[in-house]
Amino acid sequence: MNPRGGYDHLAPLFEQFASLPKDSPEHAQLRERLVTEHLPVAEHIARRFSHQGAPLEDLAQVARIGLINAVDRFDPAHGSDFMSYAVPTIMGEVRRHIRDTSWAVHVPRRLKELRLSIGGAVTELSQRLGRAPTPSQIAEHLGLSREEVFEGLEATNAHHSLSLDYLLTDDPDSASLADTLGADDPELSVVDAREALYPLIKRLPERQQKIITLRFFGNLTQTQIADRLGISQMHVSRLLAKSLDTLRASLSSDG
Amino acid sequence: MTKPEQPDPSGDEIEVRIAADAAQLPMLRAITSAVAMRQDYDLDSIADLKMAVDEACSMLVLRAITGSLLTVRFTPKSEIRVVATVLSDSDDWPDTGAFSWHVLSTLTDSLEAGVSQGAADPGGHVLWIELTKRNALGDE
Repeated sequence: MNPRGGYDHLAPLFEQFASLPKDSPEHAQLRERLVTEHLPVAEHIARRFSHQGAPLEDLAQVARIGLINAVDRFDPAHGSDFMSYAVPTIMGEVRRHIRDTSWAVHVPRRLKELRLSIGGAVTELSQRLGRAPTPSQIAEHLGLSREEVFEGLEATNAHHSLSLDYLLTDDPDSASLADTLGADDPELSVVDAREALYPLIKRLPERQQKIITLRFFGNLTQTQIADRLGISQMHVSRLLAKSLDTLRASLSSDG
Repeated sequence: MTKPEQPDPSGDEIEVRIAADAAQLPMLRAITSAVAMRQDYDLDSIADLKMAVDEACSMLVLRAITGSLLTVRFTPKSEIRVVATVLSDSDDWPDTGAFSWHVLSTLTDSLEAGVSQGAADPGGHVLWIELTKRNALGDE
């Protein structure tokens, strides 16, 4: 059984290829022959990956580069045969290409743009309506389908739950913001001292204290708070969720 | 008393059963968000409902028997009704003086909680919480 097809006759050539001086014309000639004769392997691998959305011609190019690299780097002295070295090398090259171009850049870029336009629409519509818009209103405003808006809103959530929470709360402007709002919150005085909640809220970053207080003791909506603090509703939403997590954690750890 | 045992025959009801474990809450947040988005709730109400479900389920999970299940049923109609239940060793529920309760009542339009007797096997108490959230647009 030879699953590798008709390439066995090329195997001895690699010994010869390795022994030729790198700058000799024979070396260059043999290199070309080895690459050319193995081209169907690259082609085959490119085809295998083409259903993932990248254009076949791009993949074939990348696979050929992978093949050239494999021919150049293969060392027959290591005992393995060329195919078992070349196939993973070429596949690695193709995978990296798909990852770098069509996936990690393409799809998220579309979502990123979607996210940005939804963010803009939310701000604009909130101002016009005096309250947070619904997905339908956002969809209508942007000329998108509701499904697209859902997708964008979900991407927003997913995106922010990863890292921005931390970045945003450590935002250096939060101190100056709190300054302008005054350090002593009148709303906070209504907080029940039971459960020692007051000191826990006081331990939160100033902006989060403010938001918690306005939302739960001043009964403002997220959009109203966002307005008042000059940040987005989504930002308020994230900070509120984060604050509640913190409070919950400290309440349960304090018994 | 029998709240957890009243299934709604309407077609748009969603019931989720997951481990009563805080690590599962992000999953519930995602589902809650999807339910409210698809009811075309405004973004404030979506965010409120997400937080409310998160808070309610956090309260339940804290009291749940280790290794038991948290059941959450969403009934989206003119308002979204969410009923969450866990099995607990204790029937000391709910603590309406807690901050969590205050948070919940701020975030929701109606809020109720109680205890019903668990099945003879495995026993225990069924803690339930029911909350509803209306689309803020319907308020005016």
